[in-house]
Amino acid sequence: MILRYTAQRLLMLIPVSFSISVVIFMIVYLLPGDPIDNLLRVGSSPEDRAELVAQYGLDRSLVVQYFVWIGNMFQGEFGQAIVLRRPVADLIAQNLPYSLTLGGLAFLFSSTVGMALGTLSAMVRNPVLDRFVRGFILLGSTVPGFWLALLLILFFSVNLGWFPVSGARGWESLVLPVLTIGFGGVALVARVTRVALLDVQREDFVTLLHAKGLSSGAILFRHLMPHALLPVVTILALRIGWILGGAVTVEFVFGRPGLGSLLIRALGQRDYPVVQACLLMLALAVMLGTLIGDVAQAAMDPRIREKKS
Amino acid sequence: MHYSSKSKLLSGSAIVAGAFLFSAAAMAQDVTVAFSASELGATAYNPVAASKLNTATSLIFDRLVEQDADQSFHPHLATSWEETPDGMAWTFSLLDGVTFHDDTPFNAAAVQFWIASYEGTENEYLVEAIGSVDVIDDLTVRFNMDRPEPNLLYNLASAFMGIPSPTAYAALGDDFGVTAAVGTGPYRLESFEIGLQTVLTRNDDHTWGSDLSENTGPGHIETFTFREIPDQSTAFLELRTGGIELLLGVPTDFLQILQAEQNIEIIQMPGTGISYMPINVTAAPFDDIRVRQATGMAIDQDGIVAAVYNGVGAPARNFLISSLPEANVDPDLNVTYNPTRAGELLDEAGWMMGGDGVRVRDGERLSVDLFTENSTEFTRLTQVVQAQLGEIGMEATITVFDSSTIRDEYRRNAHQLAVRGYDWNNSDILDWFFSGNRLGYPNVSMWEDAEGQRLNDIAMTESATAAERIANFTTYHEYVLSQHLFVPIYQPTQNIAFNSDAITVPDPVRGSRFRGQSFLDIQVAE
Amino acid sequence: MKTSSMTARTLDAFARMSIGRAFASGIGMVAGGFLVLLVLVAIFAPWIAPFDYAAQNLMNANAPPGWPHLLGTDEFGRDVLSRVIFGARTSLSVSATAIAISMAAGMTLGAAAGYFGGFFERAVMTVVDLTWSFPDILIALIFVAIIGPGLTSTTFAIAIAYLAQFTRLTRAQIVRLKRETFIEATINLGAKPSHILLRHLMPNAIAPVIVVGMLAIGDGIVLEATLGFFGLGAQPPTPSWGAMMSSGTAQLFLSPWVIIFPGVAVAVTVIAVNLFGDELIRALDIRDRLRGS
Repeated sequence: MILRYTAQRLLMLIPVSFSISVVIFMIVYLLPGDPIDNLLRVGSSPEDRAELVAQYGLDRSLVVQYFVWIGNMFQGEFGQAIVLRRPVADLIAQNLPYSLTLGGLAFLFSSTVGMALGTLSAMVRNPVLDRFVRGFILLGSTVPGFWLALLLILFFSVNLGWFPVSGARGWESLVLPVLTIGFGGVALVARVTRVALLDVQREDFVTLLHAKGLSSGAILFRHLMPHALLPVVTILALRIGWILGGAVTVEFVFGRPGLGSLLIRALGQRDYPVVQACLLMLALAVMLGTLIGDVAQAAMDPRIREKKS
Repeated sequence: MHYSSKSKLLSGSAIVAGAFLFSAAAMAQDVTVAFSASELGATAYNPVAASKLNTATSLIFDRLVEQDADQSFHPHLATSWEETPDGMAWTFSLLDGVTFHDDTPFNAAAVQFWIASYEGTENEYLVEAIGSVDVIDDLTVRFNMDRPEPNLLYNLASAFMGIPSPTAYAALGDDFGVTAAVGTGPYRLESFEIGLQTVLTRNDDHTWGSDLSENTGPGHIETFTFREIPDQSTAFLELRTGGIELLLGVPTDFLQILQAEQNIEIIQMPGTGISYMPINVTAAPFDDIRVRQATGMAIDQDGIVAAVYNGVGAPARNFLISSLPEANVDPDLNVTYNPTRAGELLDEAGWMMGGDGVRVRDGERLSVDLFTENSTEFTRLTQVVQAQLGEIGMEATITVFDSSTIRDEYRRNAHQLAVRGYDWNNSDILDWFFSGNRLGYPNVSMWEDAEGQRLNDIAMTESATAAERIANFTTYHEYVLSQHLFVPIYQPTQNIAFNSDAITVPDPVRGSRFRGQSFLDIQVAE
Repeated sequence: MKTSSMTARTLDAFARMSIGRAFASGIGMVAGGFLVLLVLVAIFAPWIAPFDYAAQNLMNANAPPGWPHLLGTDEFGRDVLSRVIFGARTSLSVSATAIAISMAAGMTLGAAAGYFGGFFERAVMTVVDLTWSFPDILIALIFVAIIGPGLTSTTFAIAIAYLAQFTRLTRAQIVRLKRETFIEATINLGAKPSHILLRHLMPNAIAPVIVVGMLAIGDGIVLEATLGFFGLGAQPPTPSWGAMMSSGTAQLFLSPWVIIFPGVAVAVTVIAVNLFGDELIRALDIRDRLRGS
């Protein structure tokens, strides 16, 4: 059942990815300015310019350019960065690991700490604790990331000297960025966990388990947690794009490399092939995340698969 | 389950964070350096073809000659040189026993190949006057000139004239300087992550440092890691917290704080550029020379040096740094603060003071666009300039662009005023920014003028001797000043700061910039 | 209050009753009161601010909080308090305008998609779903790259970044309402589509959209601040909370108050927006309808 649903969702991705690739391809042509201008030697002639335009294939019609481009993408051929003057694939390969490490750790941090907090506030009926957790959730979902990052630098790097101010060398440089991104994630996960646990606690089978004399701990870990896990997976999967691309502010403040900062730099330099490749990677991640999220939701709630199939 | 893992995580991080505190001293053999803001964004370590190079380039490649702070030239890979009296031929004797990082020999043939490789590159102008290169013997070359070039030694000492290994250069093609860079310098390129960091390791064969270094043999430090830190204030915090040992450009705002720090020392060197405000002469109201002159008189350069830069650096009165002889122009042509005269000029031009403090002519307000680049140093200066323009009744609206977009704006001729800077210690910068061949960018002033172009040509190509060149450039400079094409603002100093607990740095610094020759003398502090 | 009892209510009554109810709770009163005060401060900024927000005094730059500059001065010697007060103007108006545009466009798109269904719905929702999963900051950054920096482009960038949210929500409401018996009855009675959509569907769909819009103003303020921090929003010397922090980065160590106070302003405002929004949701009893979308 779930397999069939997954297959269906995969099939639906084909038209979606086609449209998204067209959108990404077109975005680049909406950008003002011209990367060729950045390449041209100062004072060079229109002929030099025409030659460069031809070299990068920018003289062909948009439709042709699109199909050439998408064909190359399928072969994993991302082309040559115009301003940074090297294969786009190299740039992606250089930056992606940083994004994945940061995103993965932030993911881990948000889910563990968030679930712990959410569970705590749902299970322990203590108004002070509950208020604390709810306050934390509120703060985490409202404080601007860059501001939090600056405060963390001021406190932990400048005043205490525990962690480096910037850069991407060693695990120390990951702590503050992971905390910054994770803070918002923790709030999100804690909220989802809390709601899921409160919902499921009201159900009959839990009362039954209590009546059977199972300890609260056993009920929590064996019966309640699995119910809370799926919504958490769903919400995190749907947020993969945010974790990878939304890290751009954090990458900026901490001077870290990554897909987000590569994209921002390429946008500023009008480096078309890099912008396109970065957006495509992010869109791919978003689509994957949405797929995982949908499947997880379907696994959780049989009504969804029935409704859609 | 979750409670226990959480507390374990916390205590674990506290222990390791403590360990990190003590590890800083142990990495002394690996010195981390941060580039200055103006050096960021180099895409290749290719002196021949790249239009932007950073300080690390000067550690990978050596040059034929070096220039000291007093503008004198010193032998390096060329042990001596001779110019014929008519300036039409230069003969260089080359240092014996020098090898590139790939173990190929440095010799006359390598020089010949190297000069030829400039053809068709952005840096071709450096060798434009050289007609051909003759190999006299293995260690002697002769440059046959098309015309006298009094600026040849300056060019040869420039970072853009580092000498690459011909073998590697031919083999790597466009990848030279990207995947590998092979020179004869004291450090080899270990890795280059564009926009992030460059790691250099010591070249143990290097025994041919110039006399600008005390140490001619291999460098003292094993590894230099050059980091690109996009934000200057982050770089400053890194130095203060021990994340880096050497910072190549300290923003003036931070000098005072750093001076108060026990373990941080600062070296100040004369600057090699100015900050200025180009005026687009084709955009009304600046097509009126009186408005341009008034704009120049609105800027209080001394006030800016005192208040914005805490008295560090010097006011700029014309387009060239004051250590260049061509900066000694007729004093009347220098741009100085005179708001009263500025007001009179604007009155003459028909711009009368309006009720709200903004001048008006024929119902039109004196409202202009002021562009700047998205970097801390310029946005700050621009806001002060904006306030000072307001004092003479000119309302300036700031737009902050990234460096690539702002060039598009210049090329589109969409600008009026801009605040920017350059870094170049030779008078030929006048040609770069004011030649009619480069309208839009770099000629941001959009100035096209027959007399100007004539004086430019004379200065660039018709000077036979150094003295003649100085005279010709001074004349050209004076003409440029008389047209009020820009407002000079500030001459910054080069500020280099280092952690004196970690390293020692040569004192005084030789050379016009803190580069290869100084890195050779950097040592681990006792 | 159940959703079915909301059917006949006009927008006016909705505003009067439910906002009044949201104010009635303790938290709602504090949060709502703060927001009302903030709007007043923004409107009357020129009379409230102790100094001219653009007046430079370089000799008194980076002065710590004290007298007469209660929140200190920035790197140009400008009064931070006055800039925070004027910044409220920029931040609130940009965010509110952007969300209003976004809501209007999103409701139109979502209502059309939900009502007409079919290929049109699928096309709209495909794009909307993908942009919804994309980080708002990236969408805004790309948009600003296309049309250039400034307050106008920031406003539109924020509007576009949240368009997907309103489209999704409106569509979900319309789809749900279409199934309700009274609408089916109206359709069966032969009413025109435009009549059904405007008279029956929209008024019922609007309450949750407005509440989400209210909450989105908070997100919009954060997004405006982030764009301002990148130097893409308000151009100097116009103060906005984000732009103030962008010139403050260099000053993190010299004068942290330049960063801390605008950040506190953003955080407190957004928290107030969220708390008040929560009270609105409770007052309207629409939590389930929001969760379903």
